[in-house]
Amino acid sequence: MSQDLESQLRAALRPIAPSATFEKRLIACVTDDPQHSQPKANRVGGAGWRSRARWLPVAAAACVLIGVGLQNRLQVRRERENGLEARRQVVEALRVTSQKLDLAYEIVKSQSSSFTDENPGV
Amino acid sequence: MNEAVRQFTDHELALARNGDAQALTALVLAHQRSVYSLALRMLGTRDLAEDLAQDVFMQLNRNLKSIESREHLAFWLRKVTAFRAIDQLRQRARLATHLKSDTHADHYNDADTCDPLLQRHLKLLLEELSPAARAVVLLRYQEDLDPVDIARTLEMPINTVKSHLKRSLEFMRQKTPGARSSRGEDETL
Repeated sequence: MSQDLESQLRAALRPIAPSATFEKRLIACVTDDPQHSQPKANRVGGAGWRSRARWLPVAAAACVLIGVGLQNRLQVRRERENGLEARRQVVEALRVTSQKLDLAYEIVKSQSSSFTDENPGV
Repeated sequence: MNEAVRQFTDHELALARNGDAQALTALVLAHQRSVYSLALRMLGTRDLAEDLAQDVFMQLNRNLKSIESREHLAFWLRKVTAFRAIDQLRQRARLATHLKSDTHADHYNDADTCDPLLQRHLKLLLEELSPAARAVVLLRYQEDLDPVDIARTLEMPINTVKSHLKRSLEFMRQKTPGARSSRGEDETL
């Protein structure tokens, strides 16, 4: 430690050779990858794979969340359609009931008018 | 680094631009030590350094057409490696998952360069520097760039580079028993 710090730093910070396996992988990776192709698809094994693997659980969780969300949305849509159908049926029932009541009213009205014609003193 | 640049010829660069596999291999062999060492000393672990070095070379492969010369190639590699490493360190700091050396099993051991104790001591001191200061120190003492080239590489004002160097060296001197300053270095700052 008695040398000057700059010399010590220069000695300590000489470039380090990467491992032979990494060197092979890197060369394979660079030479196999056409310059304008999609690099992610061509990355092979090792370090690149490790970084992608870290995102796999996140991607899986995102897929599950998206699936659940879609299913939920479909269910809501289905329930809304069922509700609309029920409403349509209720309106139809009310319409039919109303027609029947009108008919009954007409019959009662015609019977009561014929009764007063036959019995004018009543 | 300079030796590596001399080994890689302009002719090989032209071939590499056209996707020649042998030229690309020569390019990787010529520059991998510099890129890997810079990444390793910035990030502190082999895994992260390998990831970063691979990403840098893949990015280079896609941008080879824009590389004008061997000097530009070396400049581009240093710049992209340093910027990506600084980004990663800042992101790590933001996520508060800074991996302290003592808790990380994947220490690099560069026993073939110098005293392993000194190596470890300086590595720990380097890790205490800010990402930008660390990049400046590495470009100065690993890549042997002068402050003007460091400023150009890191897109910093020259005075900021000098200030980083001065403060980093002072910090390291204080933490290194028996360390003396070099008159020549002080003159460059």
